[in-house]
Amino acid sequence: MKLLLVEDDHEAAAYLRRALEEAGHTVELAEEGREGLLAAAGNPFDVIILDRMLPEMDGLAILRTLRAARVRTPVLLLTALDGIDDRVEGLDAGADDYLVKPFAFVELLARIHALARRPPPQEVVTVLQVGDLRMDLLKRTVTRASVRIELQPREFQLLEFLMRHAGRVVTRTMLLEGIWNFNFEPQTNIVETHMSRLRSKIDRGYPRELIHTVRGSGYMMHEPA
Amino acid sequence: MLGGGSTSFRLAGIYTAGFSIAVAVLGLIAMLSTRAALIQEFDARLRADQVTVIDGYNKSGLPGLLRELGEVSGGPGASLFGVQSGAGAPIEGPLKGLATPVGMSEVRTSLMGKPETLRVLTVDLGGRYRLLTGDKAGRIEALSRKVLLSFGLAFGGLLLIGIIAGFALSRAVQRRLDAISGAAEAIIDGDLGRRIPVQRGDDDLSRLAATINRMLDRIGVLMDSLRQVTSDIAHDLRTPLSRLRQRLERSARQAANPADRAEIEGALRDVDAILATFAAVLRISEVEAGARRAAFRPIDLQALVRAVAEDFAPAAEDAGHRLEFQAGPSAWIEGDAELLTQMTVNLVENALRHTPSGSTVRLSTAVEPGAASLVVADNGPGVPEAERARLFDRFYRLERSRSTPGSGLGLAMVQAVARLHRGEARLSDGMPGLKAKVTFPVATS
Repeated sequence: MKLLLVEDDHEAAAYLRRALEEAGHTVELAEEGREGLLAAAGNPFDVIILDRMLPEMDGLAILRTLRAARVRTPVLLLTALDGIDDRVEGLDAGADDYLVKPFAFVELLARIHALARRPPPQEVVTVLQVGDLRMDLLKRTVTRASVRIELQPREFQLLEFLMRHAGRVVTRTMLLEGIWNFNFEPQTNIVETHMSRLRSKIDRGYPRELIHTVRGSGYMMHEPA
Repeated sequence: MLGGGSTSFRLAGIYTAGFSIAVAVLGLIAMLSTRAALIQEFDARLRADQVTVIDGYNKSGLPGLLRELGEVSGGPGASLFGVQSGAGAPIEGPLKGLATPVGMSEVRTSLMGKPETLRVLTVDLGGRYRLLTGDKAGRIEALSRKVLLSFGLAFGGLLLIGIIAGFALSRAVQRRLDAISGAAEAIIDGDLGRRIPVQRGDDDLSRLAATINRMLDRIGVLMDSLRQVTSDIAHDLRTPLSRLRQRLERSARQAANPADRAEIEGALRDVDAILATFAAVLRISEVEAGARRAAFRPIDLQALVRAVAEDFAPAAEDAGHRLEFQAGPSAWIEGDAELLTQMTVNLVENALRHTPSGSTVRLSTAVEPGAASLVVADNGPGVPEAERARLFDRFYRLERSRSTPGSGLGLAMVQAVARLHRGEARLSDGMPGLKAKVTFPVATS
């Protein structure tokens, strides 16, 4: 993927750039707000990674300018601020996701992937399908190999999230934020417990496993190769 | 409603009472001096009439006296007379039967069948005759009463006007004060942009409102600089921690052997623990600042606690605990759903963490008049009373829990959220176990 990284901290920028390139992406680096604005407006990127606190120009101001200029590239905001309102403020300014520093690199990677392949907003999806697993979003039903599976509401939400991100890594933090709306880390691993119950309903007894654990990162739904 | 004990009504009341008392006193003085003047005039008339009659006696003796008497007492409003012998035996005139001492006196008697009070001037005519000159004093009384009545009416009128004016005045003042205190309440609740409306005019209340507004501007500036400092601290601490984390990540990736990698990943976990504690402390300060109140919405505490119970029941079961939710009626409060959820989760995790496998944790909500509460109770070993109060302190850990994971901030967060919602969190003996109860006030409308 072609990524734009707008980050003023030289060392952090260098680290991220190297790590992202190692993961197979092309990274253009802007260490100043104005530079980043010009780069974003001029070239097409798959995802823009924008630091919120930049020296002479506030990250949110850059974001708003971009959105006002009709640049629709998905933006991931990086910040040291994790106040309750800061997240909402960032999303309101036009960010698509918000990650608090410091973060695990796998978290960044997973979220970039999640942002890059969003369906365009006009498309309304009513059915999700992975292999022989089918979810009807209108009827709220789930079937595998045409056999109906009964799910609890949370399990349904969990499965929907996995299927919408099929083929990409979904981290525990993404699930806590997206499904439970928790902006804190509970000590108990509720994601794991709900996931294991979901797996026992979706995967157990079927020849091919669809929900996979990605060690060190999270989970991924895909058809086994 | 009368401005319920309002200062302005009390003030108006004091002024009115003062003026009314002044009017009453003045009325009394006016009545007394009027009375005195009337009596003086009355007596002077009696004396004048008497002198005329005495002249007659001096010129022509008793016949002369009687002739003058007839002339003077002829007209309406004329004085009444009485002639007696030197010893007091009645001779002539309506007053002849009175037994009065020499000089001016008042006597009550019956005149033409009606009881009257008379003022009588009695004079001794050389020992041979006594002459009584008098008149009904009733007219004096009537006039005095009229004066008193006028002042009484003034008194009553003043009182009435005073009450009405006081009421109207206090209402007007109360409305302005209510505007000020209403704006102040909104500001206390977290709406820091509010200002008090300043009316045209340069009176005390307008100046007060303007001063309060200037104070709020100053507070706004201070809070902005505090926010700036907090975010600077966050940035300054997080940036090196971020670099530290990245360095460790890179080292872990490049580690030569699995043992080294495991060590470095352990260090990474420690760094994350520091960051989690740091984030929790910042979050508690943010909650305590109170600005979150502006975003409160109606929340059903029952539904919120039920959701937490359902989410955590599987994890609890896996760890060998039982998590139960006791259904009850809806419990509506004004609050922040995310913070209340975090608070409930903290209480549940606290109970799960500090009770042995096999324990039961029970969640419930209750509604009482004027309050709604939630309870998280366990049947574990409990906490001795001496230590219970300290559990809400930041970083406080029980001796026996020192080695268990957790920063000791969970309950501090619970209390901060409870207080933000104007409620209170309390721990008590679950008999057995520990019972945590958070009570919220509910506006009774």
